[in-house]
Amino acid sequence: MSAPAVPTRRVAKAPPSWAGIAPSVVGIMWRREMLRYFRDRSQVFGGLSRTVLWLVILGFGLGAALREIEGYSYAQYILPGVIVLNVLFAALQCAISLVWDRQVGIMREVFVSPSPMLSVALGKLLGGATVSVLQGTIPLLFTPLIGVRLTVWSVLGAWGVMFFLGLFVTALGVIIAARLRTFEGFGSISNGVIQPLYFLSGSIFPLRGVIGGVGFLEIPQHLREELRRLGIFAIGGGWVVQLPGWIQALVYVNPVSYQLDLLRYVLLRFHQLPMAANLAVTFGAAPVAVIVAAWAMRRMGQAGR
Amino acid sequence: MSLDPAREGPLAAGTAAGGPSAVPSGASVTRGQTPAVEAVELGRRFGDVVAVDSVTFSVAQGEFFALLGPNGAGKTTTLHMLTTLLTPTSGRASVMGFDVVREPQKVRQVLGMVFQDPAVDERLTARENLELHAVLYGIPRSERAEAVEQALVWASLTEAASRRVRGFSGGMKRRLELARALMHSPGVLFLDEPTLGLDPQGRRHLWERIDALRKDGLTVLMTTHNLPEAEACDRVGIIDGGRLVEIGSPAELVARHVGDAGDLEDVFIALTGRQLRDEEATARDLMVSFAKRGGEHTR
Repeated sequence: MSAPAVPTRRVAKAPPSWAGIAPSVVGIMWRREMLRYFRDRSQVFGGLSRTVLWLVILGFGLGAALREIEGYSYAQYILPGVIVLNVLFAALQCAISLVWDRQVGIMREVFVSPSPMLSVALGKLLGGATVSVLQGTIPLLFTPLIGVRLTVWSVLGAWGVMFFLGLFVTALGVIIAARLRTFEGFGSISNGVIQPLYFLSGSIFPLRGVIGGVGFLEIPQHLREELRRLGIFAIGGGWVVQLPGWIQALVYVNPVSYQLDLLRYVLLRFHQLPMAANLAVTFGAAPVAVIVAAWAMRRMGQAGR
Repeated sequence: MSLDPAREGPLAAGTAAGGPSAVPSGASVTRGQTPAVEAVELGRRFGDVVAVDSVTFSVAQGEFFALLGPNGAGKTTTLHMLTTLLTPTSGRASVMGFDVVREPQKVRQVLGMVFQDPAVDERLTARENLELHAVLYGIPRSERAEAVEQALVWASLTEAASRRVRGFSGGMKRRLELARALMHSPGVLFLDEPTLGLDPQGRRHLWERIDALRKDGLTVLMTTHNLPEAEACDRVGIIDGGRLVEIGSPAELVARHVGDAGDLEDVFIALTGRQLRDEEATARDLMVSFAKRGGEHTR
């Protein structure tokens, strides 16, 4: 058998780019993330099962004991948290695949190509952010069940926050992934990164709250307002509870707390942290993380193996 | 070693005839032409470990050159330095006249690379992998579809084009990668152990493809520890312990070291000894064994 003719000669050149950004490369790397996502049913399944476990089972289960938080049911209160959890998983899974791609996957092919790494990184990060929005939308489908009314604006606002959160967390993951040479599974990332960010973000308990028994004590409205001015939020009726100082400190330094708080405001019109801080962290942290992540990927390409 | 069918392939005939620009000795290159690859005292150390120690050689355009050596000799490290994946710690190197450190972008445009183990996205189809390559190498939008189809035909993968690469055999993946590496008409094709892990049929098929390229005048630099493959090359550089210990055409090396009775394997053993080369597992080996255990969650 004779081999077919050698393909047409072409002139290889770097893809057209402006200041290191080649739109075609950003586009194809983004598309790759999308194709990978839509071909991985287990990821969608993970998003669904997390939502059911946290929002429905924990939400209604714990919700039976904690009647309300600031007039919201417990399931309603943790809705933004469950969205954030899905975003964290989606974004980090996308980022961590870099470790794999680099050792035995497509990343080596990318490193030897004349494509600017900044564009490759941007495509990857935008892809991670888009997958984050898709995965974060799963809990929104459950809102009729828990009695949260969505408007066009609250959904658009939530997508915006999810996108920036996804971008930030993917970038964070890429920075971690660029330093990992091997990894044995996603479990360590889940336990070591996702869960601390999630639990220390005010996702499942308010920063300061009034917690109490099943109708043990109803808090009168004027007292409620008084407490709110002090930054204390009421869960059901009962005693004022404040997190230990060190947990509070961790919540305050966790950027996800602010992104989550903004998401909660967008969906429920309720927030616990200063709005200016929420906006600044959500829209400021992502671009900074993107720049650091792009730089980390560039270095990874140069350092080789 | 005559068990290897690759020796009986068309390539063996090609060797006898000599390549289009076979250079007669271990000395430098065709005069007046930029060497396709040139390494001058090229070295790389990792901490205290010297992986490649002052390697000097050049490959002429149109030449078919093999770096031959035992495991851990520094073949892949040398290849990675030449393909800009690894920065040399000493010496210099150029590909088609472009310096690998100062002009990495230029070097990347003129080289084609096939890695030791597949560098493909297994969740994508063959066609999608090729499309990705076409974009990464700046093939204009209007030519992309044609380039992809040609590559699929060349790799005999038109029927499998829409299947995900995950289900491909080792030989299919290698053909896909070879076709991909040719899509942008590289000046030099780098092959890192191209037939490793292939069955005799797959190996023979791949050799036929490589042979066709060679007849077309493409420069090929490959690493191997497969001696029949090295014997089919215009020139061979034997590398051991990070040093280039010998260079020349297979016939010259045999004549110089073992006389008429021997073959390249005898030369190889004479130069590199009989000691077994055990290596520690690399990060990549760990990942591969992890994947084989089914532990990979992100693919």
